Amino acid sequence: MMLEHILVLSAYLFSIGIYGLITSRNMVRALMYLELILNAVNINFVTFSDFFDSWQLKGNIFSIFVIAIAAAEAAIGSAIVSSIYNRKSTRINQSTLLNK
Amino acid sequence: MKSISIYLSLILHRTDLLGPIHNFLLVFLGSSLILGSLGMVLLTNPIYSALSLGLVLVCISLFYILSNSHFVAAAQLFIYVGAINVLILFAVMFMNGSEYYKDFNLWTIGNGLTSLVCTSILVSLITTILDTSWYGIIWTTRSNQIIEQDLLSNSQQIGIHLAIDFFLPFEFISIILLVALIGAIVVAHQ
Repeated sequence: MMLEHILVLSAYLFSIGIYGLITSRNMVRALMYLELILNAVNINFVTFSDFFDSWQLKGNIFSIFVIAIAAAEAAIGSAIVSSIYNRKSTRINQSTLLNK
Repeated sequence: MKSISIYLSLILHRTDLLGPIHNFLLVFLGSSLILGSLGMVLLTNPIYSALSLGLVLVCISLFYILSNSHFVAAAQLFIYVGAINVLILFAVMFMNGSEYYKDFNLWTIGNGLTSLVCTSILVSLITTILDTSWYGIIWTTRSNQIIEQDLLSNSQQIGIHLAIDFFLPFEFISIILLVALIGAIVVAHQ
């Protein structure tokens, strides 16, 4: 019962992340919702590792890798946002702004 | 001092001693997660939304402590709250003040369609979760495990498996982080 409650919570966070990612008009908000999606997936991994795999902890290790990849992608995303903003606004439908 | 640390480590390693405290903390963290994620969507000011993301990340980190994963909880607190959330706040503060109010939450047809799709995804996931027989899987996996490493803490086990079983992904992650750092500097330099 405890496992199912935690998985339902993570599914809820995932669906809110997908909703926010699709309906956000601003690229920084899209980055925020992407981090929410990755955290929902991490909750799933850590919960499965806690309930099923207390000896090899594969879920924990994979979630550490997901945290590292999310950090790299947030850094590059914010670099792209700042270089777009140096030219114009941060609305998503103007994606040709990185051209020279 | 040493007796206090031994007492705390005994409590942290055996969550079945806590029982109702565990359940109460789980309910409290779950409700604050739900409120924080709703606040992220519904608040129009992007700084409030980013701070609400910070609340969600801190609650997830406390949640990992309840799940006996202390290393991932500390990594989440350091990296997500301390680095990624601060980076998002910097990127939010780059935006001009006049751009805040162009970003109204107008309820367009696209918003309605997306909420319909996301609700259907959520309902299908919840149906799949509640239909799966988890206790059958627990019995089959627990009967296959060899009870060896019960005296090591969670961080020590993660260290052992990262150094022996998952050594190659560990090195590749360090190369990925190096490449991402160089790429971010090159993009932001122009």
